[in-house]
Amino acid sequence: MRSKFDEQLALLNKEMIEMGALCEEIISRVLKALTEEDGQLLHGISSLGPEIDQKERTIETLCLKLLLQQQPVAKDLRQISAALKMITDMERIGDQAEDIAEIVPFVKNRPQTVDTLLHEMAEASIKMVTESVDAFVGRDIGLAKKVIKDDDIVDNYFTLIKQALISGIVDNPKDGECSIDLLMIAKYFERIGDHATNIAEWVVFSVTGIHKEG
Amino acid sequence: MTRKIFNSIMIVAAVSLLSGIVIIMGFLYSYFERVRENELKDELGLCAAAVEDGGIRYLEKVQSDRYRITWIEADGTVLYDTVTGKENSKNHLEREEVQSALEKGEGRSKRYSDTLLEKTIYYAKRMEDGTVLRISIGSATVGLLVFGMLQPILIVFVIALIMSGILAGRLSRRIVKPLNNLDLENPLNNDIYEEVSPLLNRINTQNSKIKAQLKELQRREAEFSKITSCMNEGLVLMDKNGIVLSMNSAAEKIFLTDQGSVGRDFLTVYRDHEMSLCMKHAAESGHSEMQKSIFGREYEFVVTLIKSAGEVLGSVLLIFDVTEKVLAERNRREFTANVSHELKTPLQGIIGSAELIEGGMVKQEDIPRFLGHIRKEASRLVVLVNDIIRLSQLDEKKELTKERVDLLEIAEEAAESLGVLAEENSVEMQISGDTAVISGVRSLLYDVIYNLCENAIKYNIDGGKTELKITCDQEKAVLLVSDTGIGIPHEHIGRVFERFYRVDKSHSKETGGTGLGLSIVKHAVLYHHGTIDVQSEIGKGTIIRIEFPV
Repeated sequence: MRSKFDEQLALLNKEMIEMGALCEEIISRVLKALTEEDGQLLHGISSLGPEIDQKERTIETLCLKLLLQQQPVAKDLRQISAALKMITDMERIGDQAEDIAEIVPFVKNRPQTVDTLLHEMAEASIKMVTESVDAFVGRDIGLAKKVIKDDDIVDNYFTLIKQALISGIVDNPKDGECSIDLLMIAKYFERIGDHATNIAEWVVFSVTGIHKEG
Repeated sequence: MTRKIFNSIMIVAAVSLLSGIVIIMGFLYSYFERVRENELKDELGLCAAAVEDGGIRYLEKVQSDRYRITWIEADGTVLYDTVTGKENSKNHLEREEVQSALEKGEGRSKRYSDTLLEKTIYYAKRMEDGTVLRISIGSATVGLLVFGMLQPILIVFVIALIMSGILAGRLSRRIVKPLNNLDLENPLNNDIYEEVSPLLNRINTQNSKIKAQLKELQRREAEFSKITSCMNEGLVLMDKNGIVLSMNSAAEKIFLTDQGSVGRDFLTVYRDHEMSLCMKHAAESGHSEMQKSIFGREYEFVVTLIKSAGEVLGSVLLIFDVTEKVLAERNRREFTANVSHELKTPLQGIIGSAELIEGGMVKQEDIPRFLGHIRKEASRLVVLVNDIIRLSQLDEKKELTKERVDLLEIAEEAAESLGVLAEENSVEMQISGDTAVISGVRSLLYDVIYNLCENAIKYNIDGGKTELKITCDQEKAVLLVSDTGIGIPHEHIGRVFERFYRVDKSHSKETGGTGLGLSIVKHAVLYHHGTIDVQSEIGKGTIIRIEFPV
């Protein structure tokens, strides 16, 4: 009985890692699309979205099955409930990446300063996602806490981009539409950072049983 | 085993003791009964003597709990009984012992008395006056006697049992001790019971078999890890669930991990969407390949399923570093594209001019100019093709005949043929230095010096200077070409030796070159195991230093 349960838990772990890998893949492709403006890459992104959704369904079913059939307690229960919460965040990351991909073709001529900032911001948020998945894989609370802290960096980038865009609009009101699109992209990256933070928080919960201090 | 032996000894001891006691008790009982009967007879004799002497008065005086004495008339009436007195006694004539006494003089019998419910032994004797005196005793007294013996016998029994217990313990331990102390590593060195030796022999043969197999196994394991650790390719073995069974050092380096990854899911070692797709594909079709760059290097991943008798045992992941291959391929593609472009440009010029002449669009007096143009373009083509041939020769790494050549001599030769060009560009050219004789290919070394000087002249300013210095010592010959020219921008220095690479992207026809000159220089120098060093500053000039081993 227990060995079957362990087997299913291992499967859950594996599926979670695969879903994490999918999220990393989709946002790294978004970053590539943002810098290289490659139509083929955008196509790849739209095919990854449904894959992430499918993975979410699979993991959800697996979690519910585990909860109903095995009635886990303590650490196992924490792991499964944390997984249920984490996949929601991962799925949102996928959605946000898709949203960015939709906007990317419309922001062709970006001002250099914003472009650099956006690039750095994207890299910071990708790093957060990668590290949050790493934290989950290694059950690494230290790394998870670092991810939670790093959210400030991404938030800071958002503020910087916002200011840069505002001054851009003041100087050149014609580029208004592009600026708003860029702001949306920045906001999406900021949300991706938030979701990565959530994942990290659930990692901490699944290991220690404490969710969000204070 | 000790316990079993102990138990057996104890059971045997207990059974033999018990049966001994029972037999002894049986003998004792009958012995005591006989003794009692004899005693009874003697006592009856004494009693009879007393009764004959004292008559009934003696009997009345007798006080005994155990004995019962009855005096019976010859007709059976009881004269006196020590227990019941004179009255209430039945006629005793029918009694067996009385009958026997009356007939033979004495008699005895054993029976359950009517009056007292116990087995009683009777003894009767006819006296001289014809009366019969009878004495009796309850057999319980014999039983009591024996019973009295029981207690000491039991004590003896218990003591004997305890003794035999201690002995049995010692004995069983002594029997088992050699078995416990068996040296199973060297079974044949044991001096022990004959009965065990077949077993020991068997153990001996199996021991040596196991040792041999273990050794073989260890040897293979060491061989395997030695081979895999020396491999440049990464090798990962996984079981059917994707758990890493073994990973060689090359793979560890690629995935930035250590031996700690053994026993973990491969996904936790390297998490990548394409990788998991590749694994899945391999699980379905048995084989799968993919290419991916990790930390700036290109790797090719090959996953193969291991099957035995239709059952999946696991999978092997082989990782090849194909960075060089990919780079070479890209270079080749670029080279082909460049070559076609470079070849096409002069041809277009030739075709264009020829078409104009053919269509009669060119005035008669302009025809020589157009023909000149065609000739110039065609000779440029020849130069280009020559350069390409030279490069491809160098690429082939064909062994060319080496001879002893003097660099200074070649330099002077090259300067002579470049004199016109230098004059055209109004660049002053100087050659200085000692004779430096090295072993090399004359034509290649000529190309090196010619190309370097040509560049120094071409990419120079009006009234500039070009200096060629040759020095030589015991170990190396140094060729130093310096100019006062336009210089090479810092970011381009690393790339000027690439084929068709131009600092000036417009591929200007003005300077004429093919873009292959420096590439030929590099290859030729490498062919002679030399080194090139470029120092340049924009606007000030370039210094190229080449060292050849002597």
